Amino acid sequence: MADFSDILANIGERLVYIPTEPLLFSSGTFWALFLIFLPAFCLLRRRLWLMVSFTVLFSLYFYYKCSGLFVAMLAATSLVDWLLSRVIARPGASKTLRRLCLTASLVTSLGILAYFKYANFFLWNLNALVAGNFQPLDLILPVGISFYTFQSVSYIVDVYKGRVAPTPTWLEYAFFLAYFPALVAGPIVRADYFLPQIRQNRTASRTEVYMGLWLIILGVVKKAIIADYIAQYNDLIFQTPGGYSGFETLMGIIGYTMQIYCDFSGYSDMAIGISLIMGFRLAKNFNFPYKSRNLTDFWRRWHISLSTWLRDYIYIPLGGNRHGTARTYLNNFATMLIGGLWHGAAWKFVFWGAMHGAGLAVHKASKPWLGHLGDSWPVRAASWLVTMVFVALLWVFFRADNWHDSWTVIRTVADGGYTAASIAAFASARMLWLILMAVIIISHCLPTGFWDKAAAAFVRAPWLAKLIVFIIVVQLVLELRGESVAPFIYFQF
Amino acid sequence: MKRHHLALWALLAVAFAIFAIASAFDLPQIGGHQLKSSQIAETIFGDRADADADTSALALTAPAVADTVAFPVPVDTAAQTILFIGDSMLEGLGPRLAAYAKKNGHRLYTVIWYSSTSEVWGRSDKLESYIARIRPTFVFVCLGANELFVNDIKNRRRDYVRKIIADIDTLPYLWIGPPNWKPDTGINELIAENTPCGAFFLSDGMHFDRSSDGAHPTRTSAALWMDSVVRWMPAHSFHPIRMELPDRATDRADRIFVHQPDEH
Repeated sequence: MADFSDILANIGERLVYIPTEPLLFSSGTFWALFLIFLPAFCLLRRRLWLMVSFTVLFSLYFYYKCSGLFVAMLAATSLVDWLLSRVIARPGASKTLRRLCLTASLVTSLGILAYFKYANFFLWNLNALVAGNFQPLDLILPVGISFYTFQSVSYIVDVYKGRVAPTPTWLEYAFFLAYFPALVAGPIVRADYFLPQIRQNRTASRTEVYMGLWLIILGVVKKAIIADYIAQYNDLIFQTPGGYSGFETLMGIIGYTMQIYCDFSGYSDMAIGISLIMGFRLAKNFNFPYKSRNLTDFWRRWHISLSTWLRDYIYIPLGGNRHGTARTYLNNFATMLIGGLWHGAAWKFVFWGAMHGAGLAVHKASKPWLGHLGDSWPVRAASWLVTMVFVALLWVFFRADNWHDSWTVIRTVADGGYTAASIAAFASARMLWLILMAVIIISHCLPTGFWDKAAAAFVRAPWLAKLIVFIIVVQLVLELRGESVAPFIYFQF
Repeated sequence: MKRHHLALWALLAVAFAIFAIASAFDLPQIGGHQLKSSQIAETIFGDRADADADTSALALTAPAVADTVAFPVPVDTAAQTILFIGDSMLEGLGPRLAAYAKKNGHRLYTVIWYSSTSEVWGRSDKLESYIARIRPTFVFVCLGANELFVNDIKNRRRDYVRKIIADIDTLPYLWIGPPNWKPDTGINELIAENTPCGAFFLSDGMHFDRSSDGAHPTRTSAALWMDSVVRWMPAHSFHPIRMELPDRATDRADRIFVHQPDEH
């Protein structure tokens, strides 16, 4: 049995930065920390500045646990942004000075992102172009840098445009930028929506608190039970492209399509739920995207905070739909190209974004023609199928290690293995995988009203019933978890 | 603090306490299924003597069967039927070993049991049954990555490691140690203590490029890992087999069997 110093050392070990173990909402360490954070946060709630300072400190610690000493960079960036935003909004500041400050802030934020995320991509391409021998830089990507950089850009642009007043204090801006529920993997929080909530300092109602718990449970089920479990099979298919039959590979592609949805929307649910418990509302990030019947609809339902950000800060400044049809398509395409590159520094992401951009343009161009087809159920079914096949095929490029592997996976689907015997063998070997896939597909197909009623029933349920549900979900996580912590897919972005 | 916040905090705290207390005991079985522990008690109250164990003494602790075997042992050039069992590390090692097998005329059967440990294999009769079914002439084992940080591992896993070795019986084999990403609590030492000289390849200390989970070597790194094992075998294995460098980087095993973490 360990003595007291061992216990302290064991606890201390969990509290320092461990590169391979980022602080996930679904981890025991976060659970324990939240048990300490919540009462302190509630007690400080009445005193705004104490609450804000405490939350900023906790958020910075949260980021330290995820990304180590990069927390200093986050704090420094936020300070620079805030100082520049104050200059931009200063009465009497000349247009030149305001522009200069805007440029300085954008260069700082985007420059840091470009250095950490795209420097080696640039060197790799330069080597390929000039047959050079530039050595890649030894860089570690700070967790969540793409998310908080986009928040910082939107804030400074909004201040420049006069849409948002700069925060009077750095603490408020740090609260917004480093707000731990949304810090490392979104949703991307917008200043005009979030900043007023800080000063309102509203205590969450009973309904909001339990709705928050409901969202956390839903998120844990999606991420730590479904996504992490089905990932074990999907990884097998993508690790050995061409190593499995066509049917098995097809299942792997469908599996990954569901995995990425459960992984990311599960994380968003947890983030929104934790925030709701604290009394802060975050905008919805997913709205049953696989119900979409066209690509435009898909991007209104998938990663909503990113697509609206891209619309407001890339598409509209590029001209949006104000300069004719051809320019609209081009703007759409360019926006999605940037969206693709935002996901990762590799040509496969550029291709993924470009194909979505092209798909959106094709959909917009064919809208008049599609309108003549009516809205009968075969048309709806065909529209849904075409959209899903397109989306799922593009996820292959998103997931596979490289271009060659992507095509091998897609080619293998046509390889066969669609006999009743092999399908039965697959079903018997992968029963739980199929059950979890069925659960997510059926739950996706249920009407939205069903989920509203389920949430309301949970909120109304007795305390003991909630406790039992929570314990069952945690035990299911323990039963189905893999051998190592599976980071959120979007952590890498 | 509002009443509903207090109630929520109590819910989270009670649930945490239940899992923490339960993790200090052996959990019951439900319908033959052994419930898994949260390991909260182990994490907090675990003895650090194990965590600080130094694996550098491995060479001294391996059984001294070298007296009966003169190294290097001549290479067995016959075509083999190879059985390769283990955890998810086989995803990376398997395709490279398959390339070696194809090049050298061996047949390779791979059994990947996700999240498996020496305990999982030791408790089940799967290894015995695969050996009876496939009739291998050489066995590779890669296990240990999922138990790098188990406290008191020697007492808790010794019987299972011995059971695996007993299942392999008289067949020549090689146990490939886990690719540590942190110091382990003694799994490498435990395997080394229970395998004869030339039957354990220590992977700890090697450099790996890791995939995004921080644990698994990337596919390229795993292939290099397999290459290192193969290069080590002629001089150090107690039963080296023919392993000429393949033309292809990876290949597919003759058959891959997959088991999910929840199987028994």
